[in-house]
Amino acid sequence: MMRLALPKGRNLSFVRAAFARAGLTLDGFDFSGRLLQQELPEDGVEVLLLKDPDLPLYVERGVADFGAIGSDVLEESGADLLVPVRLVEGGCRLSLVGRPGTKLRNGRQLRLATKYPRTAREWLASRGLGAEILELSGSVELAPVLGLADVALDIVQTGSTLRAHGLVELETVRDVGICLVVNRGAWQAHRAALNDFVDRLEAAGAVR
Amino acid sequence: MRISAELPIGVAALIGAAATRLRRLEGLLAGELEADGFEEALLPLLDYVDPYQPILGAAAQAELYRFVDRDGELLAVRADFTPMLARLLAPRLEALGRPARVFYRGEVVRRDADHPGRRRALWQLGAEILGVEGEAAEHEALERFLGLLARAGVAAPRIVVSVAGALDRVLQQGRSRSEALGLAAAVERRDRSMVRAVPALLGVVESGLPADLGSLGDDRLAARLEHLETWCRHLETTHPGLMVRLDLAEFAGQTIDPELAGTSGARSYYDGLVFRAFAGRGFLPVGSGGRYDSLYQRLGAATTAVGFSIGLDRLVEVLEEDPPRAAIVTLGRTNEVPR
Repeated sequence: MMRLALPKGRNLSFVRAAFARAGLTLDGFDFSGRLLQQELPEDGVEVLLLKDPDLPLYVERGVADFGAIGSDVLEESGADLLVPVRLVEGGCRLSLVGRPGTKLRNGRQLRLATKYPRTAREWLASRGLGAEILELSGSVELAPVLGLADVALDIVQTGSTLRAHGLVELETVRDVGICLVVNRGAWQAHRAALNDFVDRLEAAGAVR
Repeated sequence: MRISAELPIGVAALIGAAATRLRRLEGLLAGELEADGFEEALLPLLDYVDPYQPILGAAAQAELYRFVDRDGELLAVRADFTPMLARLLAPRLEALGRPARVFYRGEVVRRDADHPGRRRALWQLGAEILGVEGEAAEHEALERFLGLLARAGVAAPRIVVSVAGALDRVLQQGRSRSEALGLAAAVERRDRSMVRAVPALLGVVESGLPADLGSLGDDRLAARLEHLETWCRHLETTHPGLMVRLDLAEFAGQTIDPELAGTSGARSYYDGLVFRAFAGRGFLPVGSGGRYDSLYQRLGAATTAVGFSIGLDRLVEVLEEDPPRAAIVTLGRTNEVPR
């Protein structure tokens, strides 16, 4: 039985919908219960429900064979995983946000708040910018609102949260989507089954 | 005064039974190699950085822990046995005689980004075969590698085999260097959306080989891969429980074209057969190897060179697991075969 890691966060509903279109309904999993590990014999998988930042490590270390996770989390983790497809649903963007008129170069060191310090460092280096990176665990958009930071690097979906706080998108850093991720060794062991599943996701129009 | 027992990220101490387990495994495998005529090389933990500048790519250079000693010399901690052994053996090959069979054991230390679960200090045992011509060297290296895994008690390893540079020509067609390297990375990730426009690579991503080997643009390579495929099937019949797969995607980044080489990862010296073994419940990588004639040639030594290394701490981890259950799996139903 293969072990599938699912993200507990905002992407779970998108992943479930996409997988269901490909015939992996996961109907037997009790998502409202307290059990984070459940076997679904009818689906041929054992499911783990994990916090998003932890999921790449579980798959990289082979505790889970495959899973689904946002590309923002995947890239921040630096995990060595295979990524056969990206799902159509759940797209958003990673953007630099701040008060209108915020300048990135203004003679003093920029303060940047984010949940993605590694991604932030790479982006700053690509732009030739320096900044004090303030690593936060949530409500990142509050940092520029309340003056903890000048800007924030955060996920933007509709932009309504930004507008509600008087913030604007200063720059789109990259598009974010949900990735199917697979352990490198598990791919070799279960290649036929995984290819078949990816084929079904593609046939169902669930992938980009 | 309380002294902290905390160690730096990525390193571990083994004490008592844990240390005994690793040393016993190391001794078992070293004994096998010695019995087969391999001579041990005890290599230093520190070396100058300068001799490695011409032979290590950017990724390999980046993983070195470097420091300036009291005499102002730039030194590095050993990160990889193969280049160190090559630099020390290349001037001595005439005295050693050919073929030379050498093995080593010990730690390598690699500077890695702070990544949960990733080790920076690794216990390894490896072997090198120098001066054996043609495929015989590759066959010997892989057979010895498999033999050591079996001797250690690894059940049902998965071996992936390829040829370094096999995809170079396809990757470079009409692409800039950065585009070709990006495409190589996408192939290694099995990223269908990125390779969809290149039919030959889509086949490689899905099944390890293109449907038509001729699409790789190299008749000699196509013939070699056919021969390699035959040999892989032979290995499976002679090693029950073994799975050997020819998969060009696994090593898509292992380029040899000078336009691409040097940027394809820390072990970018492979220039022929390459292989990697996965084992255990989590299919963890437990060892790898391949051919690297050009590494010695760059050091002025005209010799063939094929070798492999086994990750001893990873191997101990795998051997301490409960036996895995073999399963024939379709996502949607399972026919589970208890082992």
